[in-house]
Amino acid sequence: MYTISAPPHKKSKFNIKSLNWSKIFALVPVALAAIYLFGVPALGIILASMITAVVTEFGIQTIFKQKVTVKDGHAALMGLMLALLIPPEAPIWLPVFGAFFAIAIGKHIFGGSGSYVFHPVLVSWVFIRSAWAGPMTPLSTPHITMLSELIIENGAGLLVGASPLALIGGVYLIYKRYVDWRIPVTFFLAVFLFHQVIAFVSEIVHLVQEGVLNPLLYLASMFIFLEVPGDISYAAIGVVFFGILFLATDGPTSPVTKKGRLIYGLICGLLVSIYGLFGNYVDGTLYGILLGNCVASYIEIKTMPASFGQECWLEKPYNRIVGIIPSAFKFEVVTDE
Amino acid sequence: MESKRLDKIPEKIVIPLRQHNGFVCEALVAKGDEVLIGQKIGDSSEYNSSAVHSSVCGEVLAIEEAAHPDGNKVLSIIIQPSDSEETVPFTPAKNPSKDALIELVKESGIVEHYGSPTHTVLKPRDKKIDMVLINATASEWIGGKYTNAKEYASQMIDALKLLMKAAGASKGAIIIGKDDSESIEAFEGVEVDGKKLLVAPLVGKRRLDHYFKDQESNILVASQKRIYGKNILNFFTYNVTGRKVAIDQNPTDVGVAICGVKSAKALYDAVYEGKPYYETVITLEGPGNCPEYMLVKLGTPFKDIIESCNPGEVGKIIANGVRTGVAQYTDEVPVTKGTTKISLQKPEDVLRDEAEACVHCARCVDVCPVDLIPSRLAVMADQGRFDECRQFHIQNCIECGRCAGACPSKIYILQLIRYAKNAIGMAYEDLPAKESSNLKLGCCGGE
Repeated sequence: MYTISAPPHKKSKFNIKSLNWSKIFALVPVALAAIYLFGVPALGIILASMITAVVTEFGIQTIFKQKVTVKDGHAALMGLMLALLIPPEAPIWLPVFGAFFAIAIGKHIFGGSGSYVFHPVLVSWVFIRSAWAGPMTPLSTPHITMLSELIIENGAGLLVGASPLALIGGVYLIYKRYVDWRIPVTFFLAVFLFHQVIAFVSEIVHLVQEGVLNPLLYLASMFIFLEVPGDISYAAIGVVFFGILFLATDGPTSPVTKKGRLIYGLICGLLVSIYGLFGNYVDGTLYGILLGNCVASYIEIKTMPASFGQECWLEKPYNRIVGIIPSAFKFEVVTDE
Repeated sequence: MESKRLDKIPEKIVIPLRQHNGFVCEALVAKGDEVLIGQKIGDSSEYNSSAVHSSVCGEVLAIEEAAHPDGNKVLSIIIQPSDSEETVPFTPAKNPSKDALIELVKESGIVEHYGSPTHTVLKPRDKKIDMVLINATASEWIGGKYTNAKEYASQMIDALKLLMKAAGASKGAIIIGKDDSESIEAFEGVEVDGKKLLVAPLVGKRRLDHYFKDQESNILVASQKRIYGKNILNFFTYNVTGRKVAIDQNPTDVGVAICGVKSAKALYDAVYEGKPYYETVITLEGPGNCPEYMLVKLGTPFKDIIESCNPGEVGKIIANGVRTGVAQYTDEVPVTKGTTKISLQKPEDVLRDEAEACVHCARCVDVCPVDLIPSRLAVMADQGRFDECRQFHIQNCIECGRCAGACPSKIYILQLIRYAKNAIGMAYEDLPAKESSNLKLGCCGGE
């Protein structure tokens, strides 16, 4: 007897399980750095959060007689990500409640894996941040002034801030194509070029107001992009990289279209930068991405690709103009058949 | 590249009377008749049909319904072969005219591997063909009378000239794979009418028209990335020539005839040797010592081919490639003119994934060659929202199966998309009747 089935008969070995577990492994270095920096409380928070998340998922799926998908690692990943967004001084019940809230309300109320609109970790973080503002407020806000602080940041307020460099695993995931590059790249550029663009625009506006006519001066204002703005030391912190590499790239809460992902990264970057400009980058990143989630599906619908072979927006006017020009003016060799 | 010939004489040969998508032929022989190699045993008076020839000497055992590799049962002539190699006399055609060539194509039973009889592609009703393309991107090197690669190249150029003559087309091109260095080497510097041709890479918006002017030749050899799938013709035409084919049309509507390497070679043999189409080269893939290419007679059951390469226990037999091919429920199915490849899988390699929820990772979007959103189409097809599928250009799908192959949730995206396409095809009767390669429900259950 031979098996019959629909094509394709060969698929990539990559599955949901490997996607989630690879993300967990990419977060292990930063978790270790947090335990090194904050000691046992950090380990307690991480374990409490991960175990609660897994138990909650198991419980919900058993009660509602669904297929138990604890092994695919999604709940564990959510628990770990939430733990990294909690300050080390927090009491142990806080991550426990947070992880329960993330899985029960953030994930399963919306329909489970792949169906949620807002990132469960962010939903839960926003809830516990507002409900227990005292224990959730970090004791310090990081401000990177030296390069060595990228490796171990002593001013970290949240677990994830312990070592921005330890998040390099996320870059490896992009390199291995486990995570798409589009969102992180535009997000990163938007965050780290935001201040230069503002400075550049205000310089141009300033020159126009002065009535300067020398085009070289306008061109010279391009050099603003080479200056490293002071704000970068506030932005180059663990939680921003965590947001760029792990939170924003989550599948269900980001658009699936190629163009949409570029735009989504840009919008997240703008929101984070605006928050960061007036508040701080720690809260800014998390609130910014949560707001980005709101517009993700709108972006997706608006960027649906056209049928292949259709003219793009630049070609249309070009072809129209070329069509008007009489053929006598065209430098084209016309061969006769 | 040498292709091995299947030496063993099979116990029986099964020749389906329909090896193309058109009308079934009528048998010209009866039970008990003796047939010779190359003898015409099936023919039809309809235009959209192609003759069928015996590939062996022997006695007709039966004319009955038999399994066909597309999953259905087709009326077939079953022949018990003898050792004799006696053939009907082959008479090469001497400088045939256009109409004689078309007639020769039909009489020799030349059929494209994607199903259309070649003469309907070259001379469609009420349409004019001005360009003939040979799609050689799949690199099915054909066995036959050539000693080296250069001879193969010049044979292909001659075959292209014949096809152009038959179609009355002024231009022609052979498209080879960009990564197929063997073919590129063979075709680099091939001479056409005393002029050396260079392999022209089709990149970006630079298409054939550019090279027709650039190389000042009406015959070209171009290379591009391999396109595969069940339904690639429109996309292939657009990619190669820049001509956009409307969704409910086929390339002949814009004056392009697309032929395969095999039909080109078959026409070459028919004209220069008088041989009808009764042998083909198939690609083999699987465990054991499978030769990569094998020259087999049409009608040879898969069983004999599989036995010749000792694969051990086989869990799945797939005709025409692991990406889009049809899994066979029996190894009695014969090689037909549409068979390009036989893939074998060990029982432990057979996929048994269960589909999970989509996590919107967008992998399917990244791999789609025609800019679709397969994940969304799969959801809408599953829910029966076919109109919305249509709005998202589901008809552009070339059914290559990359989305389903890349999906980490193992969703049967390709199957769902085909389901929606079939439903749309049935709802809008102005669309041409589509030949489904899928199994018809209830036709071949527990055998």
